[in-house]
Amino acid sequence: MTLASLLRDAGLTGRGGAAFPTAVKLEAALGHRARLIVNCCDGEIGAAKDGWVVEHHLDELVSGARLLSPRRPATIRYAAHRGSPTAVRLHGAGLDVLEVPARYVSSEESSLISIAQGGLARPMTKRAPPFVAGGRDSAGRRIRPTVVLNAETVWRVLQLVEWGADWFRSYGTAAEPGPRLVSVNSPTARGVVLETEAGARMSELLSAVGGLPADAEAVLIGGLGGSFVPADAVPSLAWSTADLARLGAGIGPGVIELIEPRECPIALVDRFLAYAAGESAGQCGPCMFGVPALAAEWHRFAECPSAPLLHDISRRSGLLPGRGACRFPDGVARFVASATWVYRDHLEGHLAGYCLDPGRRPADVLTR
Amino acid sequence: MNELLWYTSRATGTASIVLLTGVVILGATISGRGARSRDGATIVTALHRWLSLGMTVFLLLHVATAVVETYVSIDLVSAVFPFTSGYEPLWVGLGTLAFDLFVAVMVTSMLRQRISDRGWRFVHWAAYLMWPLAILHGFILGTADEPLLRLTTVACAVAGGAAIVWRSGVTHHDTDRRRHVAAQEWS
Repeated sequence: MTLASLLRDAGLTGRGGAAFPTAVKLEAALGHRARLIVNCCDGEIGAAKDGWVVEHHLDELVSGARLLSPRRPATIRYAAHRGSPTAVRLHGAGLDVLEVPARYVSSEESSLISIAQGGLARPMTKRAPPFVAGGRDSAGRRIRPTVVLNAETVWRVLQLVEWGADWFRSYGTAAEPGPRLVSVNSPTARGVVLETEAGARMSELLSAVGGLPADAEAVLIGGLGGSFVPADAVPSLAWSTADLARLGAGIGPGVIELIEPRECPIALVDRFLAYAAGESAGQCGPCMFGVPALAAEWHRFAECPSAPLLHDISRRSGLLPGRGACRFPDGVARFVASATWVYRDHLEGHLAGYCLDPGRRPADVLTR
Repeated sequence: MNELLWYTSRATGTASIVLLTGVVILGATISGRGARSRDGATIVTALHRWLSLGMTVFLLLHVATAVVETYVSIDLVSAVFPFTSGYEPLWVGLGTLAFDLFVAVMVTSMLRQRISDRGWRFVHWAAYLMWPLAILHGFILGTADEPLLRLTTVACAVAGGAAIVWRSGVTHHDTDRRRHVAAQEWS
């Protein structure tokens, strides 16, 4: 039995967020003799699981990578944010570390391929065939066949080889088999990594950081590229694509963020968007103009709310998806759309002239 | 007859310079996004294209008459290969070089839908080399005893030069933002 058919039987999908079947990627990589980059960047806000794999299962990670690139083990590289503890650990193990700037879009698949070839860590336009077959970037520069796999995915490959597909399928659901890692964050506990599976109760995952506070309004799933889900839906919510999709969310890179209930969510979203505006790679219109414009509109709304401004925000976020070299603008649009839905009471409150946030509420305005 | 050809060649040469300068100014206006309104941009672009096609007639006449007339020795070979004419090889050669570049720019523009945008743009940049060559060619050979012809070429040089200076100084928010972001840490 080949490794690819084992991965197909087990139903292993990429754990970096896109959930692409790993067997398909592996077959393409072997067919094109592609170089392997193991993505250990934890690029999403609140993500910590790649670092956790490197910290606790580095030997297994390295063995898994060698299984995936049997003919070219010397070309395997491990991508990590420059100067991060993960990068230090990888260097300590004597591995070939691909250090990338600690920027949001720099750990995107094609950004890693670009910087691995001596280019800038910015996303490249996707073409057919994909970069696993090599090709050229938009400047005509030759791109060597390269495949990028998430650190957790690579670790799972080794586990699968050691324990078999049946063991793997004993975790998770039929649609989403296998154990998986989740990074859970709260205002006080950052990057708590849990070993869990699809179908696990959300409330159970949240108990790792002290559980859902009674006054919690929302949980952010998937970081800046994810969605807010209302807290009252959490008790009955399972950690699965099917369940999360009902609320417009998804498993993504496996990041859960408990939102500080005492902070004004308009200000919180403002902070996220200000960060997003500064992370544009300056290549595609929706990213270099759309995202900063959206952030600026939200900021103006936070300072001086008005109904037309709110209308502009939803109109603009509808213009962003599907038009960039990467999915960064799509993620930001989804983030804003979910925030305007989940926090609609707060937005209306601001429109009416008061903030529902008790900590920042002026003393002389009435609550509802 | 020979004299008629000689004067035709000079006249069409001068007309080509004037028209070419107009085309260059319009082209600089387009690439520098100088048109204020959408309608204005459409008109400028259309004028740029049609004027360049129109001047082709004058240019071909200019070259053809220069070859046919026997007053000076310019043959068919030196109409295509620069610096090969018997008469003023350097200054006629500049004109030939400009003519060759003009043909390249024209052909790539006609094939624009079929070639890469990058390739078209690269060749189109040659216009900024072609135009000064044509001006120099016209100025040196546009016989000195005709102040009107000289003045025409000088006026073209001043107008076209001003357009190019304006174009090189133009900033665009798109380019500015790209530069600003590219200057950040990305490697």
